[in-house]
Amino acid sequence: MATTRSRRPRASKLHSQGLAAHIFLIPWQLGLLLVTAIPLFASLYLAFTDYNILSSPEFNGLENFRRMFSDEYFWASVRVTLVYVFVSIPLQLAFALLLALILDRGLRGLAFYRSAFYLPSLLGTSVAIAILWRQIFGDDGLINQALGLFGVHGESWLQNPATALSTLIVLNVWTFGSPMVIFLAGLRQIPEELYEAARVDGATVVRQFTHITVPLLTPIIFFNLILQTIGAFQTFTQAHVVSGGTGGPANSTLFYTLYIYQQGFANFDMGYASALAWVLMIAIAVVTAIHFILSKYWVFYGDD
Amino acid sequence: MNEVDRRGFLKLALAGAAAAGLAGCGGGDGAADGVTSLRYAWWGNNVRQQNYTKALKEFAAKNPDIQVEPEFAEYEAFQERMTTQMAARDVADIFWIASAQVMTYARNNLYRDLQGISTLDLSAYDNAALESFKLDGKLNTMPFGIFVPVIRWNQTFAEEDGVELPAGEDEWTWDAWAELLVDYTKDNPKGRKGSPYEADADLPFEAWLRQRGEQLWTHDGRIGFTVDGVSSWFDWWEKLLKAGAVLTLSEQEGMSPDWTLVGDKVLGKVANSNHIIDDAKMFPDHTFKERAVPIAPGAQAGHKFLYYPRMAIYQGIDPDKVEAAGKLINYNTNTVDMLKVVGLTMGAPVNPEILKQAYDFASEDETEMLKVVQADQEAERRPRYEAPPGTNTWRTAMARVAEEIALGRTTVPAGSARFIEEVQAGIDRAK
Amino acid sequence: MTTATAPIDSTRSPAGALTRRRRSRDLLKHLGLGVFVLLMVYPLVWMAVSAFKPGHLILTQPGLVPRDLTFDNFVQGWNALNRPFSVFLVNSLLVSVGSIVGNLFSCALTAYALARLEFRMRKVYLAVTLASVMLPLHVLVIPQYIFFSQLGMVNTYFPLLIPKFLATDAFFVYLMVQFIRTIPRDLDRAAWIDGSGPFRTFWYVILPLMRPALVTTTIFTFIWTWNDFFVPLIYLTSPKMFTVSVALSSMVDSQSQDGVGMLFAMSLVSLLPVLAFFAFAQKHLIRGIATTGLK
Repeated sequence: MATTRSRRPRASKLHSQGLAAHIFLIPWQLGLLLVTAIPLFASLYLAFTDYNILSSPEFNGLENFRRMFSDEYFWASVRVTLVYVFVSIPLQLAFALLLALILDRGLRGLAFYRSAFYLPSLLGTSVAIAILWRQIFGDDGLINQALGLFGVHGESWLQNPATALSTLIVLNVWTFGSPMVIFLAGLRQIPEELYEAARVDGATVVRQFTHITVPLLTPIIFFNLILQTIGAFQTFTQAHVVSGGTGGPANSTLFYTLYIYQQGFANFDMGYASALAWVLMIAIAVVTAIHFILSKYWVFYGDD
Repeated sequence: MNEVDRRGFLKLALAGAAAAGLAGCGGGDGAADGVTSLRYAWWGNNVRQQNYTKALKEFAAKNPDIQVEPEFAEYEAFQERMTTQMAARDVADIFWIASAQVMTYARNNLYRDLQGISTLDLSAYDNAALESFKLDGKLNTMPFGIFVPVIRWNQTFAEEDGVELPAGEDEWTWDAWAELLVDYTKDNPKGRKGSPYEADADLPFEAWLRQRGEQLWTHDGRIGFTVDGVSSWFDWWEKLLKAGAVLTLSEQEGMSPDWTLVGDKVLGKVANSNHIIDDAKMFPDHTFKERAVPIAPGAQAGHKFLYYPRMAIYQGIDPDKVEAAGKLINYNTNTVDMLKVVGLTMGAPVNPEILKQAYDFASEDETEMLKVVQADQEAERRPRYEAPPGTNTWRTAMARVAEEIALGRTTVPAGSARFIEEVQAGIDRAK
Repeated sequence: MTTATAPIDSTRSPAGALTRRRRSRDLLKHLGLGVFVLLMVYPLVWMAVSAFKPGHLILTQPGLVPRDLTFDNFVQGWNALNRPFSVFLVNSLLVSVGSIVGNLFSCALTAYALARLEFRMRKVYLAVTLASVMLPLHVLVIPQYIFFSQLGMVNTYFPLLIPKFLATDAFFVYLMVQFIRTIPRDLDRAAWIDGSGPFRTFWYVILPLMRPALVTTTIFTFIWTWNDFFVPLIYLTSPKMFTVSVALSSMVDSQSQDGVGMLFAMSLVSLLPVLAFFAFAQKHLIRGIATTGLK
């Protein structure tokens, strides 16, 4: 490893550090108290109630959670979301890392490429995406026109339940710009001296990559993995925009948060929506915890 | 460079804090002395936003003691915001009500009673009309337009392809329309089809039910239709689908297709009477016509109905503002001044006097719409009831079933049964 | 580290062969990247071209080459909402800049404490930070709205900005934590030994070293705030307060796609400041510690 291991700070400093920490944390603690905690606990309470937004919530115990088991849309949304998370995240991160590595050094016009690759993410999840996506994957879209050259008559990829989800996975991979930028920033963080020293030692490019770049980048890879996974579990806008909020065709793009939204905002069943949200939160927490446990085996910190 | 950076960082932080403070001062200014400030919330596209803003300004100019704060959003965004506002009881003084929420809001007592507001003149409406405005026997919402279900067709295409709709009312049946669509598609040289697939169109579906002697909702908030009723409707569409006379889901990119996408691919469609005004503008080279939906042989008397978009005064309105709010609603519904500015995209005027006057300033498409509505307004009508609480998403459920039928994932009887089951479950939960 | 036999060993190659090989390799890279760029930006190019077509032809004549060019969409779009579109651009800029300042300030402080200072509850706080991004927005928004509504802050920018100054964007807190953790401890330990307290260490050692993270935070905060729709939609009721994304959504009716031309034109207009900002900011990603070196 590139960094040296050393002792923990002495215990005598602990006290003053604790005091300093709490001063540093004043904004965060205020935010937690005022902005985060109130809605968080409110939603936890609502998960055990029948709450139609317009009248006061009524406690109904575990009813909301019981209801999930027999709710076919709930299960459909679980399926859709899991497929999406496990397919699109590895793809997106692989793209982002690969491109970040290519763009990190030694090429003319880097600024141009970086901006070009980031362009799709800039557009974000604007309403325009729905129309763009139809232009590509629709009945009369680019892909089918290309297939037409080979005499294949394709149907709309967005309206086929078997392919609709894939178009959203493509959408997510297409916007790999954000994790790419974070990777780039992470690569910038690696001290050039380490590479110089390695070169003096005669280490090959491959060896520099596996022995310097990858280990020092692992905290950033880990960050992207965790946060992109959390984000993917909560995918909402893309699905909402592309399917017009329905999650169709035939529930094939009914993402979990889209279903929460439908229950809460369209159906006015905020109690059930809150219960669904807490189940999601627990699921994400479990996945994140697993990531953290596994991280001990592959993430290296400079402060160890 | 580090020194510069840190100083920059600090400066930026201070500037930002100041900007944030200033920004806060910008909004939320209250009314000046003696001037009543009203919040008016509505939905639509940017054209409607411009027109209504202009009309509201004119109203304020005529009533210097009233100031109107417009609150506008696109339809879906409007509902999201309204829901949040309702939860916080921080709602516009006057607001349009999205159709699905009419009864839900009523049951939660969110509308102020409109009777006895001196500035709101109800004298132009007869008792039957007033009765049809009421929800649960209370006059607490004000209809400000009328929609009726229609068949709308592209007259330019009809002439090009030599098609004519049956002239007589007796020949104008659902079967005749279906037959025409099939024939039209069969040998169309330009590959045009009869119609989009719109088995989820709510007003035409309601007309279908009423002709069969069923209804959408009952007076006591139950489902007013049977599995047979829904099945017969879906069947009608499935036959068209199988005959290739309607666009496939792929061709029209899903349920509820965009008119811009399908407008030049089909002869006609089921629609709401008011849609012609916006839709026709998107294809300026074509002429569009509309007429009341077909009538099934032996249709039950009084099957015709009027659908009202409604507005209301919020229950929690400052009592001092009620008279002003009444004045604005009156201006909106009982004068031609406002309609001249905003047009008739929200349907024909409910006030019969105003409806007659509307012909004077109506465009060609608007006149087409006025005629259809006026005929239905003069027809005999059984009462119509709004969707009960818990059914907010009945149209989504219907679209989903219609989609699954088109995709071959379910059969008509099974889909129809499930549709009713889902709607019923919603009603049960809301109780 | 020891030298291993490797396919490309730069120290032993003759200089001429090296540059030739590097040049051809770069050419290949450019070619590959170029094709990839085309794929990536095609939809955006299509949108840009469409913005210059008459509105009703966008969907019916979707080719890349417009038959007749028009600026109508821009002219109409600019004035579509009773006031010039610049109003919304300024509003968005205000909110974005405010959010950037808020996030940089509050998240950096928080991240430093969580990453470097020793105190009880540190792990718990970290977990809470992460947990707070796990609950979807849609069930939080109503209680939050009620809170801000009772403070009389609806239709002001406070509900959008206050959370940023209170480090509620856990994404950035955690991003900064991870970056700080890649900084060798020796550096701040040296400062401690020199007698610097936590505040001086943060200000003089950590903050300059975490510049890539600060730049990343700036970029993302700007873009995400600029694109954010749901929260500004709900809090900003008066059209004069609208941000760009809310204004854009008013251009198309979800029930019909009328106004697509204006939507595209104004999307393009609103994309330009973001693109300019990114092009400018990403340069700062290059000039991080890699060029200044570790001090």
